[in-house]
Amino acid sequence: MLPVPTTCPFCACGCGFYLLANNGGLVGVAPSETHPVSMGRLCARGWSAHEAALWGNRLEQPLVNRNGKLESVSWDDALGHVAGHIKELIDAGKSVGVLGSARATNEENYLAGKLARAGFQTNNLDFSYRSICGPLLKGLEEVCGECTPSISLNDIKTSQTILLIEGDLADTHPRAASVVMAAVEKGTHLVTITHTATQMSRLASLLLPATPGNEGEVIDGLLAAVVQLGLEDQASVRVRCEGYDALRRDLATVKTTAETRQAAEWIARATRATFLIPPVSGEGPPSRREAAALATLAAVTGHLGRPGSGLLPLLARSNVRGACDMGIAPDRLPGYRPLDDRESQQRLRGLWGKNLPSTLGLDAESILQSVSALIVLADDPPSVLPMGQRAMAALGIIEFLVVLDAFLTPTAQIAHVVLPIASFAETEGTITSMEGRVQRLHVATDPPGEARPGWQVLAELCARFDVGGSYNSATDVLREVGCASQPYARASEVEDKWGGIGMAKASNGGKFRLFAAEAPPLTPAEGQHVLVRDGDFDWGRDPLVAFSPTLSRDYQSQCKLFSNGFVELCKQDADGVGVHPGRPVRLTSVHGEAVVPARVRTDLKPGVLLVPYAFRDHLANVLGTHSVTAVKVEQA
Amino acid sequence: MVFTLPREGTTKWLAKLTEAGEVIAPVRGPCGDVIFSTLRSPAQVVWDFENPLHPPKQFVLPQTDPLVKIKLNGERHEAEPLYDDAPRTLFNVRSCDVAGIAFLTRMHEAEPADASYLRRAHNLTIISLACNTPCPPGFCTCTDSGPFLSGGYDLQLTNLGGSFLVEVGSEKGEAAMAKAPDLFRKANENEVTQRKALEVAAKARFGPETCHFASAMRRISTGRVPDALWEKMGDWCLECGGCNFVCPTCYCFSVKDLRQNGTWVRCRTWDSCQYAAFTLEASGHNPRAQHKERMKRRFFHKVSAQYYARDGMVGCVGCGRCIKTCLGTTHMPAVVAAIRKGKWHE
Repeated sequence: MLPVPTTCPFCACGCGFYLLANNGGLVGVAPSETHPVSMGRLCARGWSAHEAALWGNRLEQPLVNRNGKLESVSWDDALGHVAGHIKELIDAGKSVGVLGSARATNEENYLAGKLARAGFQTNNLDFSYRSICGPLLKGLEEVCGECTPSISLNDIKTSQTILLIEGDLADTHPRAASVVMAAVEKGTHLVTITHTATQMSRLASLLLPATPGNEGEVIDGLLAAVVQLGLEDQASVRVRCEGYDALRRDLATVKTTAETRQAAEWIARATRATFLIPPVSGEGPPSRREAAALATLAAVTGHLGRPGSGLLPLLARSNVRGACDMGIAPDRLPGYRPLDDRESQQRLRGLWGKNLPSTLGLDAESILQSVSALIVLADDPPSVLPMGQRAMAALGIIEFLVVLDAFLTPTAQIAHVVLPIASFAETEGTITSMEGRVQRLHVATDPPGEARPGWQVLAELCARFDVGGSYNSATDVLREVGCASQPYARASEVEDKWGGIGMAKASNGGKFRLFAAEAPPLTPAEGQHVLVRDGDFDWGRDPLVAFSPTLSRDYQSQCKLFSNGFVELCKQDADGVGVHPGRPVRLTSVHGEAVVPARVRTDLKPGVLLVPYAFRDHLANVLGTHSVTAVKVEQA
Repeated sequence: MVFTLPREGTTKWLAKLTEAGEVIAPVRGPCGDVIFSTLRSPAQVVWDFENPLHPPKQFVLPQTDPLVKIKLNGERHEAEPLYDDAPRTLFNVRSCDVAGIAFLTRMHEAEPADASYLRRAHNLTIISLACNTPCPPGFCTCTDSGPFLSGGYDLQLTNLGGSFLVEVGSEKGEAAMAKAPDLFRKANENEVTQRKALEVAAKARFGPETCHFASAMRRISTGRVPDALWEKMGDWCLECGGCNFVCPTCYCFSVKDLRQNGTWVRCRTWDSCQYAAFTLEASGHNPRAQHKERMKRRFFHKVSAQYYARDGMVGCVGCGRCIKTCLGTTHMPAVVAAIRKGKWHE
């Protein structure tokens, strides 16, 4: 039995554990008490981490689609075919794109970015989950000038007040929920803003109910309470905040309640306060405005720039932050620097020996719908993008689709070329947690068949586009990342440190630009309900969960029972329209209609209907491109 | 019989044991954790350590346990049972874990006996190290499973300083000593007295933070734990399953088929009664859909008089691992206290 230390591949908390290897195979997981994040604790996903690599539908051979069938070929043939065909398309003036991944390592993402920008001369570079978390990060940036968190998970323990915009923290980020729980047990005030009675909201000292999609209204209420009760941190407001007078004016007429005034007081009077925000409203402007308003609340109460206090954006996937840091975005360079950042451009030109494309690239959704050739690295757009199966349709008509993945995902199944790469358990590399720990993965077992580490395959492709480097290991790639992006300059030291190297927290040393959320209230017509797309990530179809027999049971069972999807509503609403559990309801919105079975839940408010993110496709007609919409509910 | 092994003899003895088969012992891993691992050299063994968080039950009941290989031979499926009967020695295992393995073995010996488990267990020699100092989270005095043992081991070592007292519990233990017979001599009366004094001293070191099972058992066995209390406690559990996985006495499992090089291997894998899907039926019905029901079930199995009568002990050996690994706050002593007092976090 060989315990191999590694980093959890699931959410972005950044836990560490041992993969247990026996006779070359993976047999289990053991917790580590010395790991600074997990400290001997793991969530259900962590405890089953060995299963995905063991049980997964693994890709073992390079495959090329010939007459509608994927056939095995040699690595040289596959890579030659990919390089040759993409060169032809580029020479013909056709557009190409690359999707990196929040599931891939920093090294893989960096090389994918290098391949796109230096090799293909395009900024058509993105990863699917960024369409969900991008607005949240943007909102924080608008206020603070940076979107990196200003606190770590362990800082939460010492907070006197925690403000949590609740998705379902216990499910999305169990380790963060665990730290919040420990703080609450010791007497910390937990304030949740939520539309559903979730586990964390039941532990809260104060629950601020929100209309779905309109959490910003509650944040505005908190801001108004701070302003109206004179709870501002005067030093922060006078010296560091811009736009405070305008904010006061905007909030003058906003009504406060006893609850918002109490919560505002707890936040303002706390020496240390934590602000936790997931990408609540899914995508788009509401999420950006809410994030900006939350950052504004933290700024005016003096919690930005104060040690131990601050904001922590809750990112779903293990390496969302790393993918951003590697510049996997159409408008960002490594270090998450803007595309027009002169210093970064100069540095990359020197490093890559090529001019960089200057035209702004397309985002993930647009890339799928417009490029002729696409390289997808460990991403499955239909399961991640809000557009769901419409992404599958778009992928299906791409002239040349190349997928690098460890698993046979739906995207890989329709690819023209599939390049099998090592899973997290079989490769060296690093991932960056949401709080900014750059941590290593270690090889616990060999990749199956002819699969190779992803960084090797991408380095080979780079070389075929004349932007190669001399990499003998993933650490060599990481060294180059350190040259490309100043924050990662020390990252290659991560090798010897359990818990990784911590990136600098946001200093919040500059000025803050203040914004209220000013979310336009969603006012359904009388008798109407609100349909909410719940959650911002589909773990069920993520290969690490889908191929783990222990973790996939709930989702598989739901899929079998509800092959045509479902909608969740409270008993009162079900009775109101006269629908029994399991029977169909018709939902009609301005976008369209759908008939799905109803599931009755005890923890929903009247008027709120939920469709889990994983089942959003069945209600795509009703939701349109929105995450919240007013609907009419009838018996079908 | 009681023997003495001089401290300097341990290296030679371990070398002999390693020649005879795999020796598994707590070693300090590269990240500072003490973890059970296959011994590569006697020098790796740690003697002064807090019990590893990951329990040694994995060496009788692995997290992934291959049971049957299924092959397609022409038109027919052939099933070949898989046994792991390699001789292994578990060295420096703590008293609570010995009690845990004894509990598991009793369970798997009961008819219908589990051949796969028993082959592994019967080929395992358990050499325990009594706890002169109780580990900080441990409460083994409440479960009669430490700090010293009166049975269940093949050999029990007690650290006397310059030497180890060796108590023989079985023929397997004698056989382990016979690998290097010259190293052992009969213990004298002083040494036996010293071991007894160490046991008394160790027991006296337990703090007041122990786990009072008796009154909790009365309440839980007679249905006097209010539903609202289970519901409240359910909110403080994050359903990680960690308590089950690190528990030396938990043995619930799932069965899954692993595809491997053109064959299928039917595996038994650890499962957790705290997972919603643990009792999920194919129809979609779940008899324990709500968390409070799962939690109630877990502690009924662990603490009730009904199971105490069957198993001869509570389903806990007082190792304290669940305290360390609980992602929420619902570890054994916390829940036992809540049941006893009838309230949670008040």
